[in-house]
Amino acid sequence: MARGDTPMTRWLLNGQEVENPTGMTIMEAAREHGVDIPDFCYHPGLSIAGNCRICMVESNRSPKPIIACSERIADGLEIKTDSDVAVEARNSVMEFQLINHPLDCPVCDKSGECILQDHSYTHGPDRSRFVEDKNIRHTKELGPTISIWGNRCIVCTRCVRFCDEISGTGELCVVERGDRAVVDVFPGIPIDNAMAGNTVDICPVGALISEDFKFEARVWNMDRRDSVCGGCARGCNIEVETLDGYVKRLLPRENLEVNDWWMCDHGRYGWRHLYSENRLTTARTANQELEDDSATSTLADFVSRAKKVAFLIDPFLTCEELSLIHGLSSSIPDSIVGGWLPPKGTAEQFPSGFTISSAKHPNRRGAEKIFGSKVFGKDGKDLLKALDSRKVSTLIAFCGGPAEEGPGSSWSEAIRKARKRIVFSVMDGDWLKGASLVVPATAPLEKEGTWINEDGRLQRARSCWKPGDEPFCPELVRLQQVQMACEIRTRCLSAAGVFRELAENIKAFSQHSHSDLGDGGLPLSRRRARVDSKGGTR
Amino acid sequence: MAQTPSFSREAMKQYKWFLSRYPTRRAALLPTLRLAEQQFGELGVAEMRYVADLMKISPAAVFGVVTFYTHYRRAGTGKFHLQVCSTLSCALRGSEDVVTRISERLGISPGETSECGLFSLSKVECLGSCDTAPMLQCNDDYHEGLTLEDVDQLIEQLRSEASQGVNG
Ligand code: SF4
Ligand code: SF4
Ligand code: FES
Ligand code: FES
Repeated sequence: MARGDTPMTRWLLNGQEVENPTGMTIMEAAREHGVDIPDFCYHPGLSIAGNCRICMVESNRSPKPIIACSERIADGLEIKTDSDVAVEARNSVMEFQLINHPLDCPVCDKSGECILQDHSYTHGPDRSRFVEDKNIRHTKELGPTISIWGNRCIVCTRCVRFCDEISGTGELCVVERGDRAVVDVFPGIPIDNAMAGNTVDICPVGALISEDFKFEARVWNMDRRDSVCGGCARGCNIEVETLDGYVKRLLPRENLEVNDWWMCDHGRYGWRHLYSENRLTTARTANQELEDDSATSTLADFVSRAKKVAFLIDPFLTCEELSLIHGLSSSIPDSIVGGWLPPKGTAEQFPSGFTISSAKHPNRRGAEKIFGSKVFGKDGKDLLKALDSRKVSTLIAFCGGPAEEGPGSSWSEAIRKARKRIVFSVMDGDWLKGASLVVPATAPLEKEGTWINEDGRLQRARSCWKPGDEPFCPELVRLQQVQMACEIRTRCLSAAGVFRELAENIKAFSQHSHSDLGDGGLPLSRRRARVDSKGGTR
Repeated sequence: MAQTPSFSREAMKQYKWFLSRYPTRRAALLPTLRLAEQQFGELGVAEMRYVADLMKISPAAVFGVVTFYTHYRRAGTGKFHLQVCSTLSCALRGSEDVVTRISERLGISPGETSECGLFSLSKVECLGSCDTAPMLQCNDDYHEGLTLEDVDQLIEQLRSEASQGVNG
């Protein structure tokens, strides 16, 4: 089992001879062999603290059990994870951890995904010998989005290390000592950084609570779907959790090529507009609301009879949607295509290397691959000019962003100069007044398809909608129905099917398919061994 | 105490000397805090912030260290800080009775300061004087092998010191 030139170490794990790259910790090495040693304070993205002691195992090199998260493998080392010594050690640690723990799982948001709960079940004694009073620690706000329920804190310091090492903001500390120790902030300096939400994810218990998610759902009732954040061009891998088709929470999903174990708070909390009052969910013409079906036929009608057509695309559209728009535009002689971009935001880089892009949209790269590198540049300007000089009579515009004012001032003016305006929009707003047809559009979390992030990585986003209970027809389907009405398509395909067509038509995509992108995506330019991105985000 | 705390030239020299004695800047935090305590009289929010800025470490990290140790003088501590050891040897030799006695005599519970501002009472971890348990530390002095009478006497003595203006 030699791995290239990596030097290997042979050691004994539960009586079996095994091999791992030299220098690995016992915990990581054991996990490679499917032996799961429990942890609280260990997190693969943080420095090793070794303070919780739940990972103790028996070693032939030490009279006492040793901690597997910090001790490294060595030739001839013999480790037992299930011997009496190891089991007894874990049992005792669990009993200690629970001495002051309130066991308020029924009202705790972490319940169901709590490591303390899991380990208590697997490794703990089934009752406590502690008859004294439990001590009380503070419950308080630590910042605008996070509070601490101190009684639950097991003082693993994951959150403190996160703020020191990953966000580099250092707002958290452990105050006091012994059984009074608990996490806190310096008086007057709240935890308020763009990565703060991650501390709640990595807290192994329900001590750090997200005000955004507090009492919102029991985790076992939610559906989880692997997806990608559309908040910026980084494209963090995420899990979208929904209850009855409504988003309740976003969590980062491990992808060492993109976002490690983290996501930013802009992305994490940036989905409320999906359910805002000004969300557009029904289609309408200039004078009446339309049923969803007739919106499609009206649209098809417009398109088939249109002359001097222009398409205005945005960088929120998936490659699949763009491919369908491309199909339509190529079937209409002399149609022109240009794109608009939302204003640049601020970029942020953290000491760990995690970056938030200034491009607050997910798929500029994809649009440029399909419509050419000038689509948001010169083509956009040309389209603006054409609109200004009234050379466009039918405009089909897309606005998938969260802004209610649409593509922004210069565009909103110009768009009005097209005689017929068909607008796909996520949000309703004044700029839509007088449009011939307004069609509800899917927002990033509602799309099935692929985006290309700023590093050129092709990744799959999945819709949060409950299948069979879609609030309206997504563009992926609607655009295909229009194509069918225009007789340039014979049947409606899934996102994977549309991607297949894209891969046939546009060379840049030819090496890829949905299935080989897996959970973690691939660089567009290169085929690579599939990155295994399983392993959770705790 | 000045509005914005700041080390005197002399203290700054000493701080620099601390830095030269430790491998990392952070390692010099403990003596620097002690120095700050001597300079400023106590360690409150402004003082901890000053030390954090001076040493370029996060205020939270300083806060964590100051609260970890019971030995630093936190803001609002009375003139006499009675720190009763409550760890094993002292506990076995009756430290809980010592605490109760002080509480009764002064009308304060551990963690509180008397209204007159003279006394603060805390229960602390082992002070390294287990052979003379039970014991307490009052400001910089140890009082060992305590009986309840000793406790009463100590309080009387401190009261009279205070009224005569002798520094404790
Ligand atoms: S708040 Fe959570 S992550 Fe932080 S030390 Fe406590 S248990 Fe660990
Ligand atoms: S960095 Fe960008 S992609 Fe990642 S979570 Fe934030 S907004 Fe979303
Ligand atoms: S996981 Fe090893 S000591 Fe906490
Ligand atoms: S136990 Fe009290 S001084 Fe050590």
